[in-house]
Amino acid sequence: MDAALLRLLAMRMRGGLRLRLMQLVSLRGALLFIALGGIIWLLIASGQLDPTAQLFGGASLDSQAIRAEIETFMPLGMLGMTLLTVLLSTGPSFHFSPTEVNLLFVGPFSRRDLIIYKFIAYAAGAALSATLIAPFAQSQTGSAFSAFTATFLTLLFVQLNSAAVGMAWQAFEGNRLARLKWPVTALVCALALAAMIHAWAVPDRSISGLISDVRHSWIGTIILMPYIVFAELFLARAHFPDLALWAAIAILINVLLLRAVIKLDRRTSEFSLREDTRLSDRWERMKQGGSFWATERSEIPSIRSAPTLGGLGPIAWRQAIKAARNSSKLIVIFIVGAACAGPLSSMAGVSITGKHGLLMLYFFFGFSLPRTLICDFRGDLSRMETYKTLPIAPWRICLGQLVVQVLLSYVIALTMIVSLLLFEDSLGAPVALALAAFALPLTLLIYAVENTIFLLFPAKLVPMGRADFEFLGRSLIEFILKTVVILIAVALAIGVGVFTLLTLGSTLVLSGLASWVSLTLIAGLAMIVMQFAFRRFVVAEAFD
Amino acid sequence: MITVTNFSKHYKGFAAVKDLSFTVAPGQILGLVGPNGAGKTTTLRALCGIVPPTSGHLSIAGHDIVKAPIAAKKNLGYIPDHPRLFDTLTVWEHLAFTAAAYKVANFEEGAEALLQSFELSHKRDTLVHNLSRGMRQKVAIACAFLHDPKAILFDEPLTGLDPQGIRGIQQAIRERAESGAAIIISSHLLGLFETLCTHLMVLNLGECRRFGAMSDVLAEFGQSDSNSALESAYFAITQKRSDG
Repeated sequence: MDAALLRLLAMRMRGGLRLRLMQLVSLRGALLFIALGGIIWLLIASGQLDPTAQLFGGASLDSQAIRAEIETFMPLGMLGMTLLTVLLSTGPSFHFSPTEVNLLFVGPFSRRDLIIYKFIAYAAGAALSATLIAPFAQSQTGSAFSAFTATFLTLLFVQLNSAAVGMAWQAFEGNRLARLKWPVTALVCALALAAMIHAWAVPDRSISGLISDVRHSWIGTIILMPYIVFAELFLARAHFPDLALWAAIAILINVLLLRAVIKLDRRTSEFSLREDTRLSDRWERMKQGGSFWATERSEIPSIRSAPTLGGLGPIAWRQAIKAARNSSKLIVIFIVGAACAGPLSSMAGVSITGKHGLLMLYFFFGFSLPRTLICDFRGDLSRMETYKTLPIAPWRICLGQLVVQVLLSYVIALTMIVSLLLFEDSLGAPVALALAAFALPLTLLIYAVENTIFLLFPAKLVPMGRADFEFLGRSLIEFILKTVVILIAVALAIGVGVFTLLTLGSTLVLSGLASWVSLTLIAGLAMIVMQFAFRRFVVAEAFD
Repeated sequence: MITVTNFSKHYKGFAAVKDLSFTVAPGQILGLVGPNGAGKTTTLRALCGIVPPTSGHLSIAGHDIVKAPIAAKKNLGYIPDHPRLFDTLTVWEHLAFTAAAYKVANFEEGAEALLQSFELSHKRDTLVHNLSRGMRQKVAIACAFLHDPKAILFDEPLTGLDPQGIRGIQQAIRERAESGAAIIISSHLLGLFETLCTHLMVLNLGECRRFGAMSDVLAEFGQSDSNSALESAYFAITQKRSDG
């Protein structure tokens, strides 16, 4: 590879390190780093991040059971990722940024050099990720070194495999047989679904047993051969000969894939360029608070007029349009996922209303969903100037911003409740009704708190590369803060309900109603605080 | 010397550029003008090897950009319309990387001179993401000039620059041309072309509408009461063909 590219890599890595150190020098950066480090240390010390501590049950899985799970599910999961790459990928996954296109593509470098440059950059990132993951995986692999080796080589494989598969598919796409992609996919999915339903319905059979049978059949072993190598890396009992042998095979596979990528790149270079531009546009849009999945069509029918509703209408209307055009696929995925919660928990024999199930639900509705589906102030940092100059009362703007976000999240919650009601034996209709009633004020509270924090301390929604500890620390602290507020609110609401029950001695309905009214009032109070945060938001200070 | 022969570029059946041929000799400055979507940026990006041509030949200093890309690119400087730089590097580190990429020995003296001429000396150790757009544009130009290219391509070079910056860049372009570089400038600023370019090419809908020496084009269309000579020429050329 050209020495200049190596030098550039070294300078960029040094620059990245310098940026992190500069973050540390600031008081905010140092505090967030200490907070993040402290929380992670506490989690490790308390064993919460120990992979042997399972989420679904009180007892920990034994080491042998985890080994069996890795051996069975990891190769299948990796094959699934490869197939998804073929189905969904729109291009090769060696992505060059616009800066690299402008500076390196016009420079005296061959495409081979540029691919290797990109691969080394990715390998450096993978090494950093593996370093961060190793402490948590070492209890499974036996040592930090083996955890690092397994993680590093697997991350490289995932990248190279998806690039090679994506490029091979692009090269093949002109072929007549490529048209069979979706019919074949539909057929395979139908067969898989039929097999799963059969396994579920027949006594003494289970879906996990079926998957295990497929994985350990001779045909499954042949198909999954390259992926099994990477599962074996995590299962190696000793550094030598187990780990050394599997690592050597893994390195060989990665080298072959890199060669394939370089060869295939000649046939797909123009397509790659188009894909680079498309991806860069998406990331730019994300940095501006937009969605990665936004529509890429250039012309769509305009909706001629917005509802007024005293100022609340146009704001909610804008967010509704944004959700429909930018996040429709995401919303469908979440709704389908929520609808599957009941059947999946039933098939897996896991009670979603148990302690761990509820924790997972809270993590989903309190962290994952708000971080992924964004149709409120958090996606509008670059448009705050516009909101500030609108002749609409701040409370209407705030409410308008939250309406769509809250309703969408509520629809997802309702879908999940209905799904659980149908498939979960422990969930009766009265409990489901109560959950549906409480979900609305709780959702409003979650997003009011989320937006208040954002308006008081505006920040970017995407991390600046790997190991952006300021971003990670901030996300974690925000989540903890939000959890504390919600716990207090729920405790107060329950307290009011219990007080009503004790003093009036009436039915549970009245105390439940008292709790619901309390929670709704607290959510309303959070809206007032959010309005205050919006009023004191200074546009000029938000951009540094 | 920049030579383009029968260059065409198609995107999914859409012809962005059709059968374009022209030559820019050393010392000449060609102004590339045309409405949005005329094919200016596509031509520049094909010339510097970012997008491959659908047909035709493009060469820089005698090297075909498709057949001998590295030899061609060694003689090329490209300043894109948006000055994208590596956020985590300083101004000086960009110059150091460029020197390494183009094998410029003892680049420090040349780099210092460029920093001075673009009034960037005091920003030597500044991370580029802290610079204004105009400053970043100057850094991009300094990097493109560092290896003394024989062909320089500018895509909207004056966007975001202050009046001093504009004057400085214009002067730098003239000096590069005088020292023997073949230069192409793509811009919508017709005034820039009148003062700077020796030749003009008007593109519209991917086709060359007019190509020739600036003096010939200006003489042909003359000056109206309200418009400059080039403005009159531009509108006459583009509207005539659009109407027809």
